Amino acid sequence: MRQVWVVLRREYLERVKTKGFIIGTIAIPLLMIGLMGLNIFIAVQAAGSDRELALVDFTGVIGEEVAERLGRRGYDIEVAGREVSLEELDRQVIEDELEAYVVLDDLTLSEGVFAYRAKDSPGGTRVALFESAVQDIALENYLATISTGEALRTLIEGGRLEFESVLEVEDPEEAEAARVTGIALGFGGAMFLYITMLLYGAFVLRSVLDEKRNRVVEVVISSVTPWRLLLGKVLGVGSMGLTQMGIWAACAGLLLLVGAPMVAVQFPGADFARIAGFVPGPEVLLLLAAFFIMGYFLYASLFAAVGAMCATEEEAGQAQLPVIMLLVIPFVLQSATLGGNAMAWMDWVALFPFFSPVMMFPRAVAESVPWWMTGLSLVFMAAALVGTSWVAGRIYRVGILMQGKRPTLRELVRWVKQT
Amino acid sequence: MNDVAVRLEGVTKSFGAHTAVSDFDLDIPRGTILGLLGPNGSGKTTTIRMIMAILLPDEGSVELLGGVPDMSRRSRVGYLPEERGVYPKMKVQEQLVFLGELRGLPRSDARKRAARWLDRLGLKDWAAKKVQDLSKGMQQKVQFIGTILHDPDLLILDEPFSGLDPINQDVLESIVREERARGKTILFSTHLMEQAERLCERVCLISRARKVLDGDLKELKRRERTGAVAVEFEGDEGWLDRAGVVDRERAGDAWHIPPGRIGHRELLAAALREEVSLRRFEVLEPRLHEIFVRHAGEDATEAPMSPKGGAR
Repeated sequence: MRQVWVVLRREYLERVKTKGFIIGTIAIPLLMIGLMGLNIFIAVQAAGSDRELALVDFTGVIGEEVAERLGRRGYDIEVAGREVSLEELDRQVIEDELEAYVVLDDLTLSEGVFAYRAKDSPGGTRVALFESAVQDIALENYLATISTGEALRTLIEGGRLEFESVLEVEDPEEAEAARVTGIALGFGGAMFLYITMLLYGAFVLRSVLDEKRNRVVEVVISSVTPWRLLLGKVLGVGSMGLTQMGIWAACAGLLLLVGAPMVAVQFPGADFARIAGFVPGPEVLLLLAAFFIMGYFLYASLFAAVGAMCATEEEAGQAQLPVIMLLVIPFVLQSATLGGNAMAWMDWVALFPFFSPVMMFPRAVAESVPWWMTGLSLVFMAAALVGTSWVAGRIYRVGILMQGKRPTLRELVRWVKQT
Repeated sequence: MNDVAVRLEGVTKSFGAHTAVSDFDLDIPRGTILGLLGPNGSGKTTTIRMIMAILLPDEGSVELLGGVPDMSRRSRVGYLPEERGVYPKMKVQEQLVFLGELRGLPRSDARKRAARWLDRLGLKDWAAKKVQDLSKGMQQKVQFIGTILHDPDLLILDEPFSGLDPINQDVLESIVREERARGKTILFSTHLMEQAERLCERVCLISRARKVLDGDLKELKRRERTGAVAVEFEGDEGWLDRAGVVDRERAGDAWHIPPGRIGHRELLAAALREEVSLRRFEVLEPRLHEIFVRHAGEDATEAPMSPKGGAR
């Protein structure tokens, strides 16, 4: 076991010390956090200073309502009637006492057109927000002239789908929210599994291939069994992966800690309870860990076998395609079901061990399959892992000492059969 | 424990239609330096790889340090492969410590030994450099340290001298001699006969996958003597004519007299009779190269055109 540890440590330290790792793991997330922080900071600064607007209401009908609606989105709007002088407002804008002002008149009531007077033209978001606010209220106002009462208002504000489960659920609304959260978490997790298995699998392949190409393996293999070497290598790369993920998780935590209050300033109406629902709970993380560990070892053994049977990077690039397809197919299938058009047979496809990480994990999180199916897929994966590591170990054992051209399928079979 | 470090019996290995090693027997007694000699492609590396269990023989058996070459026995061997292999991105010191630990040395011990060897081979200042920043020759020395770091009982060195300058070849030779003096066994392969002549106690000559002959080098040379003589003397060479030596060849201050009608005893008697003041009278021993050619044929020193073996 000490040898496995020695190999593991070398593999881990050599990877973690590279510039690529440091840049990829620490610098990029920090840079992103920095940029986002800067962005939010600027936005918050802007929100504090730029949102003082005036509104001149020549209609005398809808001004208050428009101001109120925009107020809900964080605008501080002072409503003035026809008594105010536009020249005076222009002067205030020019002298930066006011950012802009909006003029509502009869044309606004009939056609929804209104003036926005400022030094700079407004941004896209503001245009959309203002237009829809004014149009909605003008429309309501017009409809109120032909019909009256709450009925109309209710209809206008309606247009909402309410999901009703045919199953007996205590709180349908909460159940629906949980369902959406489950789908989002599941897909996020599937994507995470897909990317990490592909990335760390490729690392294992590279490591095996490099050792084989520079012939150092011949020295190493004279004092350590191929099995221990492979195990140490896979564990080493895996530990590097865990380190990377740990750092990323810490960054994400930091981002939430620092970012959330700033976001709260910018969007006072944001529903934080709902956002918090998307933070995965311990049972989801546990499930993710189980699928990650199984999936990583499963694919790492395949990638190691590919690395061992190739002599050059070009060869490896080709030879790894079947393995990559094993990852891409479930990802495509899973993406296709994202819109909610999952078919029952796919639940069974998800039991295929090589597809399970990407396909069964999201199903388990969204609780769209019974728990025993999740359990069964983990059992299948464990069984497949025993099989692949047996086959891959044998290919590895022969392949790493082999130079020259890539073996044919028949030769591979012979490698595996050899004792 | 028996007194044989390596024993090959009837070992045969083929790669497809090409036979790399054929019916090979060899005993390497403990505590000797044995040179495995032969031209390129004669099967030296394949033989060594079979001793290290990197390749498995098709037929015959390999015994290493008293048993099958399993992991525990192999870990008592220091093996320097023909194709040099290092982790290019690792630092010299770290690489050596890694190799030492892999063979069971405690970390601190491995570090100490690595430092001592680096010092000895003049690589002290390079310890913290990445291996890829070193010259080929230096990398080879690093690899040699990796081979010897765990103080193995048996050193198996495949072409250890190729690529080293004469100074470093000397350093390596003296280390090999020291290890021998400490009771270690050394097997090395080379195609340089002069090197082997200087260093080996035993030789094994191999040509075209077959063993030509092997044994104690001194004994071999004595056995292979032809009766050629070298003489060095003062005065003129008339006495040689009078003794009936027609065939002779000047070699520096000496005359080389190939074996002919006159044996070396008669020649010495003639010199004494004529009162020649002799400075040297030597029955010449054949050079290893001559022995090799004599047994394997002139064309045997040419490398046969055959694919290089690498598969199990």
